[in-house]
Amino acid sequence: MFTNLTKLDLKDKQCMSDAGSPKLCMKALPGEGAERSCAYDGARVVLMPITDVAHLVHGPIACAGNSWDNRGARSSGSQLFRRGLTTDIMENDVIYGGELKLKESILEVAAKHNPKAIFVYATCVSSLIGDDVDKVCRDVAAELTMPVISVNCPGFLGDKNIGNRIAGEVLFDRVIGTAEGTEEKIPLSINLIGEYNIAGDLWGVLPDLKNLGIKLQTAITGDAKFDDIRSAHRASLNVLICSKSLTNLVRKMEIRYGIPFIEGSFYGIHDTSQTLISIAKALNDPDLLERTLVYVQKKEEETRQVIAGYKKLLENKRAILFTGGVKTWSMVSTLAELGINILAGGTQNSTPEDFQRMKELMDPTAQIIEDTSSAGFLKIIAEKKPDLIVAGGKTKYLAHKTRTPFLDINHGRKLSYAGYQGMITFAEALTRTVLSPVWGHLKGDFPPREGELQDDKAQTL
Amino acid sequence: MTKLRHYNGNPQKNSPALGATLAYLGVNGLLALLHGSQGCSSFIRLQLSRHYKEPIPLNSTALLEESVIFGGWDHLKKGIAVAADKYKPQIIGVMSSGLTETYGDDMVSALASLRTERPDLQDLPVVLAGTPDYIGSMQEGYQRTVEALLMTLAGQSNYGPGKFKGIRTADGAEIPSVILLPGCHLTPGDVDELKEIVSSFGYKVITVPDLSISLDGHAELEAAPVVQGGTLLEEFQRLPECKACFSFGLSMGKSGEFLKNTFGVPHVNFPSLTGLTATDKFILTLAEISGKEIPEKLLRQRSRLLDTLADYHDALGGQKVAIALEMDLLYSLGSCLVEVGSEISVALAASLGAGNTPALPIPIEVGDLETLEERAGQSNLIIANSNGRQAAGALKIPHLRAGLPVFDRAGYPQKCWIGYQGTQLFLFDTLNSLS
Repeated sequence: MFTNLTKLDLKDKQCMSDAGSPKLCMKALPGEGAERSCAYDGARVVLMPITDVAHLVHGPIACAGNSWDNRGARSSGSQLFRRGLTTDIMENDVIYGGELKLKESILEVAAKHNPKAIFVYATCVSSLIGDDVDKVCRDVAAELTMPVISVNCPGFLGDKNIGNRIAGEVLFDRVIGTAEGTEEKIPLSINLIGEYNIAGDLWGVLPDLKNLGIKLQTAITGDAKFDDIRSAHRASLNVLICSKSLTNLVRKMEIRYGIPFIEGSFYGIHDTSQTLISIAKALNDPDLLERTLVYVQKKEEETRQVIAGYKKLLENKRAILFTGGVKTWSMVSTLAELGINILAGGTQNSTPEDFQRMKELMDPTAQIIEDTSSAGFLKIIAEKKPDLIVAGGKTKYLAHKTRTPFLDINHGRKLSYAGYQGMITFAEALTRTVLSPVWGHLKGDFPPREGELQDDKAQTL
Repeated sequence: MTKLRHYNGNPQKNSPALGATLAYLGVNGLLALLHGSQGCSSFIRLQLSRHYKEPIPLNSTALLEESVIFGGWDHLKKGIAVAADKYKPQIIGVMSSGLTETYGDDMVSALASLRTERPDLQDLPVVLAGTPDYIGSMQEGYQRTVEALLMTLAGQSNYGPGKFKGIRTADGAEIPSVILLPGCHLTPGDVDELKEIVSSFGYKVITVPDLSISLDGHAELEAAPVVQGGTLLEEFQRLPECKACFSFGLSMGKSGEFLKNTFGVPHVNFPSLTGLTATDKFILTLAEISGKEIPEKLLRQRSRLLDTLADYHDALGGQKVAIALEMDLLYSLGSCLVEVGSEISVALAASLGAGNTPALPIPIEVGDLETLEERAGQSNLIIANSNGRQAAGALKIPHLRAGLPVFDRAGYPQKCWIGYQGTQLFLFDTLNSLS
């Protein structure tokens, strides 16, 4: 029942030897404190934003109990995906097996929540005790009128990236292309792959697509409805947004459904424009391309005008960047747009390709963060003394202890940073953080050292 | 206790390993090492971090597929050695997970084997707590870890500096020490107040674990992968010399009994410290054991609480409150509300707790937040952790955040709801939520 890892497009890659590169093909060392996550987490991140289905975790409380409803993925409709549903495996289930409990749970969830489909996640413990989640799902699906889809993602299979890929396989094998009716391609329609609508990022991009006459078939899986993903094969183009963790999915869709794919990012002015132009080119519509070229120029000018004030305030600030996925490289150009210099950059949970791209974009003098543990992160901050840190929420409170301005750009944030509007929001947020009066208070000595008090008094007088 | 359904919907439970992490975070110089896959520790870090707004140092043995086949015994040895070499902690605290308990890694023999191979690690204190994810909730994990801490470290002088000499006042008299064992239902703010109350009776206190000086959220913290603040290693050595031990929350009773049976330290358990009666019992015990008068300050606080009870008896009376929390906190807040005339309409605990379930006017059942949503419809107030927001939102009932995680209200870890003053604050928070 275990997923065949060789199928996941992992082993055909040469190991990257670059220091600081994500160690996809290297095992994390016990006790080293790498602070990465597991395959279940990776699968969950990709699939759980599907809003109108139930996500049932077949595992002990550690898997769902500590994590449900903790990402900022937003929905314009059903809130069912935010339910924490788990079989909550107990001691007796470990001894006697959990298949029966799983079966009953699926039936009960179906009856109570009436979802479009049920995704069932296998975890470390359920896999270890030998529960055949595939079979239970198949059997129960026969009794129900909805698809019951098993996701074999026990955490021990590897880190988050592997989970992302497993989720991609599941979508390809079990969801995409299962819609009834016509298979015909919808003109000028795209799928955004790897866009999870964190803090409403997707909604920041939709107006631009709409203005250009591009139809979004579905995002995989931000604010996604199950039926829209089923018809994802009718799109004319796949746009891979978040890193290459779902590359396997777009490659397979290209082969089976003839949908070409391009890569893109909606973080920052430059990347947003480039992505929109690439979409127009790939959709092969001269009219659209013409419209797009005019449109992005207008939007760029408008946006640059608005952020000019912020740029003045942020210019020549020195930053440390530490993130994952598409943001690894996309943030480099976003910060450059605001005139911010990157002293050091590092990444976790992204692919070697993303890492390479980040490295190419960064100034050659910028340092690569090699030790991605908390200790390594702190060492870099102490050495570089940056004006600001741009990173994921995981490092937020650690960074605050160094009394350095910090902006969260990962799933914990409340603001959307995607698209042109997102760039303005980002510049605003960054300025607010960097110029906040609190940092001055945090840096002063108390009681003041001799001499300092007099200076302060002289200033206020 | 009836089991309504097979699945857990909107769990209020946290994993036992999360409780273990919490206990370890109250011990100075300790490095916590979770024996499990990387997600286990990642989720705990995130959950605790969004509750406390603090960095959460937690290491992992990062188990992968091969360990499922060959076991994680070697990984554990390696993990302890790598963590010891890289971070030089004073203590290493290990907790197990569902994965490793299912295939039955013998942590004791792994540690013994490592010490044979690495004589230099012979004196490094290593605590081993068994916290399978499939038994109990945060409370059980915390409880078992405090027990493991005491059994491994209490009175052990083979670790660290020499024997405790006792603290003396200016005139040479020894200041008596007492042990405080706070349960995981007490916030760093609660523990702070608790220490203050006991100190006001002339005692020096040793608190195990002491979250009030490690997770209280202060800016001086040097960001490091080991715990800073919390119980000192030498304080564990002094435990046998203490005059008395007070444990708080029924779940901590067993730890207190261990100290009593092993070292003959008299032990009293206080299931709750919230409410007039509960605080009275605690203060009277302190006065009796210390032979000291009750400090004027506490009497003043009691008098203020009495006035508040009179002023708001009508507003609190007859309110129907639905509570879903970990057992000890559920009992503490529930019994306080009963005492002021409110009605407990729903009482759902995250897990069975210590076994001897405390009494509320209605039976306490084990339940999830979906059950809360089904049953709380006729209530005036919901008290639950932040995840109760879905239930409160659907039912349009005010929601007072308590327990863990509380991520969408500021300042919960600093809140103090114990003692006379804390009880008053809890009642104010309740009243302000109702209106």
